[in-house]
Amino acid sequence: MTPPTPRARPVAPVWLDRALAFAGATAALLSFGLFAWLVWDLARLGLPRISWTFLTGEIEDAGRSGGIGPLLVSTLLILVCCLALVIPLGTGCALWLSEFVRRGSLAARLVTGGVDLLASVPSIVFGLFGMVFFGQTLKMGFSILSGGLTLACMILPILVRTTLSALEALPADLRPASAGLGLTRTTSIVKLLLPAALPGIVVGITLGIGRALSETAALIFTSGYSIRWPSSFWDSGRALSVHIYDLTLNVPQSGAMASSTALVLLALILVVNSAAVALSEHWLRRRHQTS
Amino acid sequence: MNSTGLSRENDAETPSSGGHRTVAASLSVSGLSVHYRDFTAVGGIDLEIPEGEITALVGPSGCGKSSFLHSLNRLTDLIPGCRVAGSIRLSDGTEVTHPKTDVLSLRRRVGIVFQRPNPFPQSIRRNFEIPLKEHGWRKRDIPDRMETVLREVGLWNEISDRLHKSAIALSGGQQQRLCIARALALEPEVILFDEPCSALDPIASGVVEDLIHSLRGRLTVVIVTHNLAQARRIADRAAVFWVRDGIGTIVEHGPAERVFTAPSNPDAASYLSGARG
Amino acid sequence: MLGLLALVAGGMVLLIVWYLFSNALPVIEAGRLAAFFTDSLWQPRSQRDPQFGVVSMLVASFLVTLLAVALALPVGLAGAVFHRFYAPPVLERWNRRMLELLIGVPSVVFGFWGLMVIVPLIVRLAPHTSGQSLLAASIVLGLMILPIIALTSQAALQAVPPAQLQAAAGLGMGRARTIWSVALPAAKGGIGAGVLLALARAIGETMAVVLVCGNIPQIPKSLFDGIRPVTSTIALEMGYATASHKALLFCAALILVLFTALLVGWLSFRKVESDPGTGGA
Ligand SMILES: Nc1ncnc2c1ncn2[C@@H]1O[C@H](COP(=O)(O)OP(=O)(O)OP(=O)(O)O)[C@@H](O)[C@H]1O
Ligand SMILES: [Mg+2]
Repeated sequence: MTPPTPRARPVAPVWLDRALAFAGATAALLSFGLFAWLVWDLARLGLPRISWTFLTGEIEDAGRSGGIGPLLVSTLLILVCCLALVIPLGTGCALWLSEFVRRGSLAARLVTGGVDLLASVPSIVFGLFGMVFFGQTLKMGFSILSGGLTLACMILPILVRTTLSALEALPADLRPASAGLGLTRTTSIVKLLLPAALPGIVVGITLGIGRALSETAALIFTSGYSIRWPSSFWDSGRALSVHIYDLTLNVPQSGAMASSTALVLLALILVVNSAAVALSEHWLRRRHQTS
Repeated sequence: MNSTGLSRENDAETPSSGGHRTVAASLSVSGLSVHYRDFTAVGGIDLEIPEGEITALVGPSGCGKSSFLHSLNRLTDLIPGCRVAGSIRLSDGTEVTHPKTDVLSLRRRVGIVFQRPNPFPQSIRRNFEIPLKEHGWRKRDIPDRMETVLREVGLWNEISDRLHKSAIALSGGQQQRLCIARALALEPEVILFDEPCSALDPIASGVVEDLIHSLRGRLTVVIVTHNLAQARRIADRAAVFWVRDGIGTIVEHGPAERVFTAPSNPDAASYLSGARG
Repeated sequence: MLGLLALVAGGMVLLIVWYLFSNALPVIEAGRLAAFFTDSLWQPRSQRDPQFGVVSMLVASFLVTLLAVALALPVGLAGAVFHRFYAPPVLERWNRRMLELLIGVPSVVFGFWGLMVIVPLIVRLAPHTSGQSLLAASIVLGLMILPIIALTSQAALQAVPPAQLQAAAGLGMGRARTIWSVALPAAKGGIGAGVLLALARAIGETMAVVLVCGNIPQIPKSLFDGIRPVTSTIALEMGYATASHKALLFCAALILVLFTALLVGWLSFRKVESDPGTGGA
């Protein structure tokens, strides 16, 4: 017969629990504190300057004073170019992956693999690529067009992934149902699948915009540094993020202006990303209600 | 090496071992109710669970058997919004529902085995080391302890050569026996089973059933089962749960023999005769 | 038609690699690739003694990335454990919202803030330096990848099967042991994936680093030495680089891409491998 085994101590060490709780709380507080500090600094330095004239005025004294009007326009135009390419390309690719090839087939695996690899490419490399491909080979030079198209390549994986998951999340009986009605594949895609997947696509686009807005490295060699009001897509134009970079790197005593610009940029991104979150939550809730 | 059982003699206790168990304990439940926020799942339970016997809890789905069972070792604490009222007293006087009761040592004394086998997805050995260390077993005693209980559940010969392999590579039945061994390793006084066989095939189910039956007399067993034949085969006592006015409660309990052959409550009678449930 | 779009999307990465390669070709053809790794200095524009040593930059890239992860991982993981197991669910939800928004903060903003705030702090710590250093770059980069690591860790902990936690509770295991021996081992894969993701992001990051790293192409001997990672070099020099200098920068970019692709490839390989296993028995 085995005697009951002796045990050294009655129960679990409380100190480990305490230590974990303490370390965890410290870490949580630390990360929150650091980010609060960052936002606080930007607001303290940048907020006083923000006004209507700042948002619409031209850059003066290399950026030490004046506004950011032309930059907002350039940024917007870059986004327009970017979306004009990425929306058809991204949704098209996702549609092909979900509707025209079997999942797990070689072609599908190659394309998704390519897209995933694309997502891993550092943004500065997109910059180099855009410079030589759009700028030189396609002769766009330093232009808003070139910058926008480069960004399109960069955010393409985001759009493909979100659209694909939106399409895959559609009810499985939608496709046989439309086939049963004798709809052609094109009709079924345009009239049924795309509208049904639209919320997901919109979320993907919104996320992509957020990412594009925050990008700097891909733009410094493509859309360039010009601070004039852009008059066409072929002009060079400086994006907000590039402005922050340039001020910090090249213009002494411009911290306050950089902070104001950063604050505007952050506000834009915050709005865009919150919209994405709100949209996807709204969409999820509706799906749960209807299903 | 003793391969059939744990000893239950009243040895000299180590002073530091904090209520080290040497005998099975009985449970006495009175006025117990379990609430999920505003919803009362179980109410008005009075039940004596004698030591060393097997008590079977039966009843239709959703009548609160699991809720009741989980309240016996305070697993209900894990569910946000779940509240237990009433009294559950162990034979040494410990009040289970009292907020100051040390739940961790309570759960060591009142072990549980779930419907789905849930070994940790780590090596078989780690599955014993983790809980045994937690309850203060010395590292050098752990291999012996593990071997003892693995022999007891009849797994030792099957798996002694792959103790370092992942526990989830075992078959479902083996996993469930591993979980029982893991619970037994902590030398519990009471062991709770929540439909331990319903995720298993008939053969594995039979093995586990025999195993539970073999625990009889050595520790107190409470088992929830939907298999009335199984309850009949192994139980000393039985309690029938039924939903009355939207609240789950015990409508019939007593010696298994009597409950199964001559139930006095009409609902229990119809359930046991297979008419409903 | 759609197939064509898919081809473009899927082939984009090849196009990029091809362009990098063809622009790097002059270096490779001229047989200068070896100099890339054997030269000790980086002075590609020097007339008398051009040197193309990229090793110091690669070392800098690795060091700053590893340090950043070393700083961010403990903080992010401990924070995730706290929010999952100790904090009330409301706090966890808000924390996740905050992290999701922080992931969107432009890296150039981190770099700018680092130069404004972190660098002066480091100067106070080491008065005879410029403050722009390996340490500064690691801290800023660490801050940038912190939300990634925190979010992925939190998701991994969230995904630990409840049955595992129930099993631990049923065995009378306390919170600490449950976290340490059950939850963390079960979440290991997800946390590792997050770290790899953060590594890939960090090594390719330019803007958070270029403003605070000091831009001195050397192998740092202390935390306070200035460094110059590959990405910073490209960002700073491509503007005026010509001929073989330019080709060299493309070559550096190619190395960078291969490295991140390797990381991400490994990541998806791991995912494929572990997927069947997660189904359990
Ligand atoms: N976590 C919970 N939150 C809210 N209600 C719950 C929860 N768990 C159980 N309930 C409710 O409590 C009642 C009893 O559930 P319980 O799981 O205890 O029944 P059961 O007898 O074990 O059923 P089964 O035989 O199907 O396992 C049910 O009405 C159930 O819906
Ligand atoms: Mg149940």
